[in-house]
Amino acid sequence: MKSKAEDSILAAGVDVGSSAVKFALVRVAEYGPESVLALHNERIRRRELRKVIREGYDATLQEAGVRQNEIAYTASTGEGELVDFRCGHFYGMTTHARGAVFLMPGIGAVIDIGALHARAMRVDERSRVLSYRMTSQCASGSGQFLENVARYLGIMLEDVGPLSCEAKNPEPVSSICAVLAETDVINMVSRGISRSDILKGIHLSMAGRYTKLLRSIDACSDVAITGGLAADIGLYRALGEKIAEEKLTMRVRTHPHSIYAGAIGAALWGAYRHRVLARTEVVA
Amino acid sequence: MSVEILLGIDLGSTTTKAIALDQTGRILGRGITNTRSNYEVASQIVREEALVQSRFELVRHAMAADPELSGIENRFIGSLVRNFRQQQHLEQLEFLELTLHHCADAPRYAPTRETVKEMLNRICDAMRLRVPSHFSELAVRKSDFFRDLAAADYMQFAEQFSDSKHASFDALCGLFDAAILEVENAAGDGAFERHAGPALERTLATAPADFRAQEARLRSAVESVRSLELRVLGTVGTGYGRQRLPFPKEQIRSEILCHGLGAHAMFAGTRTVLDIGGQDTKAIQVDGTGIVTSFQMNDRCAAGCGRYLGYIADELNLGLHELGRLAQESTCSVKINSTCTVFAGAELRDRLSLGQKRPDILAGLHRAIMLRAMSLLARSGGISDEFTFTGGVARNPAAVSALQGLVHQNYGARTLNISPESIYTGALGAALFALRAADGRNAA
Repeated sequence: MKSKAEDSILAAGVDVGSSAVKFALVRVAEYGPESVLALHNERIRRRELRKVIREGYDATLQEAGVRQNEIAYTASTGEGELVDFRCGHFYGMTTHARGAVFLMPGIGAVIDIGALHARAMRVDERSRVLSYRMTSQCASGSGQFLENVARYLGIMLEDVGPLSCEAKNPEPVSSICAVLAETDVINMVSRGISRSDILKGIHLSMAGRYTKLLRSIDACSDVAITGGLAADIGLYRALGEKIAEEKLTMRVRTHPHSIYAGAIGAALWGAYRHRVLARTEVVA
Repeated sequence: MSVEILLGIDLGSTTTKAIALDQTGRILGRGITNTRSNYEVASQIVREEALVQSRFELVRHAMAADPELSGIENRFIGSLVRNFRQQQHLEQLEFLELTLHHCADAPRYAPTRETVKEMLNRICDAMRLRVPSHFSELAVRKSDFFRDLAAADYMQFAEQFSDSKHASFDALCGLFDAAILEVENAAGDGAFERHAGPALERTLATAPADFRAQEARLRSAVESVRSLELRVLGTVGTGYGRQRLPFPKEQIRSEILCHGLGAHAMFAGTRTVLDIGGQDTKAIQVDGTGIVTSFQMNDRCAAGCGRYLGYIADELNLGLHELGRLAQESTCSVKINSTCTVFAGAELRDRLSLGQKRPDILAGLHRAIMLRAMSLLARSGGISDEFTFTGGVARNPAAVSALQGLVHQNYGARTLNISPESIYTGALGAALFALRAADGRNAA
């Protein structure tokens, strides 16, 4: 037992998004399995970001009963500039690819759906990014948009998915602009359209955009959803429906830890970098 | 006794406005509230509000006509209105508290319900204690809407009291979002009858000696207006949500027409109107009688509309009132790279976390919205003298100075008209249409 602890190391990943910060703590054995010890999600909700990061990080360590000086490497990803205690930073695409392949081995593509952007990438079995495509500089159909809509409807974010699944007549979203579409939502509510139908309509319009993104990178295998919206069962189903509708040869997959893919990927890459650095030091 | 009233209601995407005119076309009262999903409630609230204000205005008229009271009417009404607002606010707060508890009865809160409810009590108690400071004579309120005032206080206390185990900040926020919707979509009426009495007592109880000397006369001035019947002869609706106003079709006018006429009524020399509303920006050219000759509206994108600034204010947890003032403190405006509103919000956050100053970023955001307006004006036929700027954004000093700079640069000297009541331009135009219709009926 003791020897196992000695040749394995602990690494932490902090994925700073624009609406939530995700934390992961992993243990990586020298030539053995990688395992996740703790995961934590802290929504920002207009609080001071530096504080949110610090508190979330401490909560993650506490959950696993680990002290900060036991962590060999803390890696940031996303908008990581404010993680001032990090050892290094990894680009978002590589961390999501790494995390997705770790959680869902066998995938050939990843779609990372965050608050502002969506990124589709084709990856190989070692999580190398082969090609990618991002949404443009406009927030139409972004996660932030969905979050605003949920707030307007007085729905907790985690209820959005289940409600969307209950829809009977999804209402097409007419407006393209994320901010004005919010006004459309007010309009829909005033026309008596159910919350389920509104949400499903939004999910379908988002799914349409993501399907296009995936087609543009020639994804044709198992596609993993990661990022903040990965936990949204309504979006997952809508994406499946769109893909079926367009008769594409893709299969969408998700995982209970999908939203942590970036943080997990960062932690795993961090552990890897730590080993490489340690080895070069020994050689030197 | 009764007074005859004409109403114009402008149901905008952000705010709903009402104007009450008497039969001579004089403005008696104004009402404004934030638009919510139930348009009927929104228009009912502003209607009620405009009628309440009309009553205050009538009290003022009665006092001005009384030689014993003339001269103190503005101070007296000011104090009366503040006390009235405070009563109204407290009533809504009580309703909010009830609704919050009701929302906390949902099954998801079952494991920690006791703690959550205790927390809600603490938050609401703290909010109640703060109410008088919002309505004191020198108070600078972030916003006039219950929703905004309550949200700012609630969030502050929620963050202060929350603990992540039993009642997290996130859960408390969720409860507020659910409860405020319910509170907002319930319409209350008879506000004047309910609150005028207590407000009068409070005003008199805290009044300076010169008020108390006239107590009997003041009471009878308020009482006489309280028993007055306000007869609404006609109502015309306009604005983004006009199709859903509970009015017959002939009582609906397009917002372009109403803005043209409203701007003409405010400034007779108007030839070009720029209206920046919540979700659309309009550039309108009018002739000497207030009739529209050409216009352009923005495309379906929030960048360039009032919502753009509203979104930014939400991002910063500021009231719309404060945004412009803060931007004016800028010494070095920042150039904003994003066009999209949501991305501009993210850019703002990034820039803040990199240590750039709030006023400088805000100045850049104000300039960005005005650059979009300038291109719309150019497409509608340029800017002729006189130029009238209306809509909610015209109340924002930073937006106005950005516009002035750009107009001077591109068109040279132009007379720029801005009324402090410019947010009511559409409602005023609508009320004038209502007055015309009533006059037409009388003539026939």
